Amino acid sequence: MSEQALSGPRAKDYKSEIKPIWCPGCGHFGVLTALTKALAALQLAPEQVALISGIGCASRIPAYTDLFGFHGVHGRALCVATGLKAARPDLCVLVAGGDGDGFSIGGNHFLHACRRNMDITYIVMDNEVYGMTKGQASPTTAPDWVASKLTPGGTGLRSFQPAALAVAAGATFVARSFSGRSNEVAQIIARAIQHPGFSFVHVLSPCLTYRPEQKEWKHAVTDFGRDDLPTANAALAMQVLLNDGGLSTGLIYEFERPAWRPRAQTGAGLAAVEEEFAV
Amino acid sequence: MSGPETIASVEEFLAHAYTLEQESVDRYEELADVMEVHNNHDIAALFRKFAGFGRKHASEVMRLARGRHLPRLQPWEFKWLDAEGPETSNVFDVHYLMTPMHALQVALDNEQSGCDYYALIARTSVNAEVRTLAQEFAAEEAQHVSMLQRWIADTEPAAADWDEDPDPPQMPE
Repeated sequence: MSEQALSGPRAKDYKSEIKPIWCPGCGHFGVLTALTKALAALQLAPEQVALISGIGCASRIPAYTDLFGFHGVHGRALCVATGLKAARPDLCVLVAGGDGDGFSIGGNHFLHACRRNMDITYIVMDNEVYGMTKGQASPTTAPDWVASKLTPGGTGLRSFQPAALAVAAGATFVARSFSGRSNEVAQIIARAIQHPGFSFVHVLSPCLTYRPEQKEWKHAVTDFGRDDLPTANAALAMQVLLNDGGLSTGLIYEFERPAWRPRAQTGAGLAAVEEEFAV
Repeated sequence: MSGPETIASVEEFLAHAYTLEQESVDRYEELADVMEVHNNHDIAALFRKFAGFGRKHASEVMRLARGRHLPRLQPWEFKWLDAEGPETSNVFDVHYLMTPMHALQVALDNEQSGCDYYALIARTSVNAEVRTLAQEFAAEEAQHVSMLQRWIADTEPAAADWDEDPDPPQMPE
């Protein structure tokens, strides 16, 4: 290939030497591929990017990349990322994790990160199960899923609607994708990174170990197929999201609202920064 | 998005051919890594072997591209028939206990997809030079398909209980 076409970092250049310990067949491999493709597409230098995570299978992803990484506390990835972005607004701050980490343990932080609208991209790999702890129901698990001994009759609880929640809570970029389509995920992640505000990328990412039936998602996912999407109309986005069955993919909602940033300058002192975070 | 029939220059065609091979290599290497992590070393070695073949083919494409100015395409701008390149293994089609027969079947599916892809371009491109090149590439992929079919014929079929593990590493609780 010509020198021009080969110039600049390739997706593989963003991967570390650490071999993922995800199960063979895990959807998260597709997200890792997509993330590295997106970074290569944007030609972002690795030292310009920080990838923050919490706990869980999906949250292992920083170790598999050659970026700044922080594998933090369960459900608190968005808090760490918020602090990092406040202190280092020049960095491209990405957050990644799973549905349990993001919507249960970190559910409150998710809502307020959407509301605060900092210029952060949050990628959630949703497999509707706690995989690392061997297969318990998560907030996005269907109420009638009975394969876990902890919930032998199913949870009986209505599933979270992450994309709809993000719109309602104030996120300014909301998309859904499927890890089996890594090029599409890459495109959405690249666009999310470029969006000036809080961007939420909800990736359906099968867990074939504890949810083998999710292998069928590759046949079930479909584009929203609507000419009126993406929309800046939150009411329309909510209407679509609450009626689509959860397996439609694409950019749903994009709205321009100034991204929040602390008024205090870096170096102003901890007290001044903390004052900006008063809720 | 427009399809592969709209590939209208040799440069665009070679950019697709190179990426098709390179992404196939990357995925095989990834599968080999995960098989090593899960102690299925025979299959890891097989995937490394497939990656080696792909690397050789990518080099051949680069040789053909020498002196040409190839376009730099974003991942989502490639004119594939599916969500990923035709020779990129599906991430979901593997299992930690998979046998050589399964791995060969994965490779066969990839090569057949590659053959079909090039054959489509050979039939439909508006550029005669692209059609000729695509025909050559399709013929080469067809040879790979035949070779894999022979390997499969010489390989012991997977046992009916191939995925039963008396001591599974991960047990739902």
